Amino acid sequence: MVFLSEPVRIVERKPVPNNATMLNGLPDVGLVGLIATSHMITQLKMGEVAYVDSELLPPVVVLHEGLPYAPLRIFGNGGLVATLSEAAIPAKAVQPIMKKLVEWGQSKRVKLMVSMGGMPVQDRQDIAEPKVYGAASNQALLKTLSDKGIEILSGGFMVGPYALIMRYCAERNVPAIALLAQSFYNYPDPEAAAATIREFGKITGMQVDVSKLVESGEDIRLKARDVMKRTEQELNRMKKTQEYDLPLYV
Amino acid sequence: MSETRRKRRSLFDLISDYVEDFENLSEEMERAFTERPSWDTRSCCIEPLCSVFVAADEVVVTADLPNSNPDTIKVEQVSEDTLEIRAEMKRKVRFEEFGITHRKGEFSFFRCQTHIPVAVDIKRMKTQFKRGILEVRLPRKRGYRVKVE
Repeated sequence: MVFLSEPVRIVERKPVPNNATMLNGLPDVGLVGLIATSHMITQLKMGEVAYVDSELLPPVVVLHEGLPYAPLRIFGNGGLVATLSEAAIPAKAVQPIMKKLVEWGQSKRVKLMVSMGGMPVQDRQDIAEPKVYGAASNQALLKTLSDKGIEILSGGFMVGPYALIMRYCAERNVPAIALLAQSFYNYPDPEAAAATIREFGKITGMQVDVSKLVESGEDIRLKARDVMKRTEQELNRMKKTQEYDLPLYV
Repeated sequence: MSETRRKRRSLFDLISDYVEDFENLSEEMERAFTERPSWDTRSCCIEPLCSVFVAADEVVVTADLPNSNPDTIKVEQVSEDTLEIRAEMKRKVRFEEFGITHRKGEFSFFRCQTHIPVAVDIKRMKTQFKRGILEVRLPRKRGYRVKVE
């Protein structure tokens, strides 16, 4: 495909701090990252600093109190920036957008890129407290995760936006971790989101109260149905279920 | 695509691309006919998220029913291959709660119908409701056994 302009551009509306921690809340299994990041943005009163514009994204705006906004935006407050997508990202757009987000993060010299998400498990409804697993872009960060008591995802496949963020960060030496909580595959999972926020606090020292998130879990699940449904369609296109596959190591 | 790259692609890659394009097209066409809002103001119903998993010996149907009253959940076979799930909500929900003010209506029920792709024994159905998720287990009907010699 030939693009007359850049396929993905990040439009900054306000000054973005350097050396911040960058959080990614993108629609994926259980909408874990999206719910967690959205909660953190509200709790930390983060404002929009930039948005992602791309001809690969559907012609959608989200209205908040009557005003139009891009569905994929970047919020900031002090030493934290957070990417949040309120709409499912089309499978074909995931690769160029993730690449651009990592390039942008690198240009802002982010000190740590954190992707919070879910890891689908069977019988999730039998798990009272979802366990959070970690992945990292380098050996030192793996050790940090282990030291904080987070079990490492040592093998298997990662598929989707966070898989690409980890790969591009590793290629470009951008420090990155993924915190993945046991979750439902195709049902919104606020409890898993709360579990990732708790672990995020342990790693970064940035504590965010999750009591409201847990209390309003049922309302969030009700509101998140349509985004979950469209996200599932895109996850199917990305062959997300490959995460269940057993890898071949000879 | 450059000529060199095109030459490197095998016949299998090309067939695989065509199959994928065809699958995407049929998916889009199906969606054009079936896509509709996940709510219905006339019947005051919200359609819950629902999924069907076919295992070797059973079919597992699950539905996400947040804010529902467990005592009101009903599972019914409405045709040979269709299961209907209904539940009353603990409280009515209005569009305003979703941040939408240009639509009017309130919802008191969950309702969905789901297609069961293989024959099941509905009489041996088992249900469980945990963490707001309804799980329905339907044993598959067995055919005849072939003797292995």
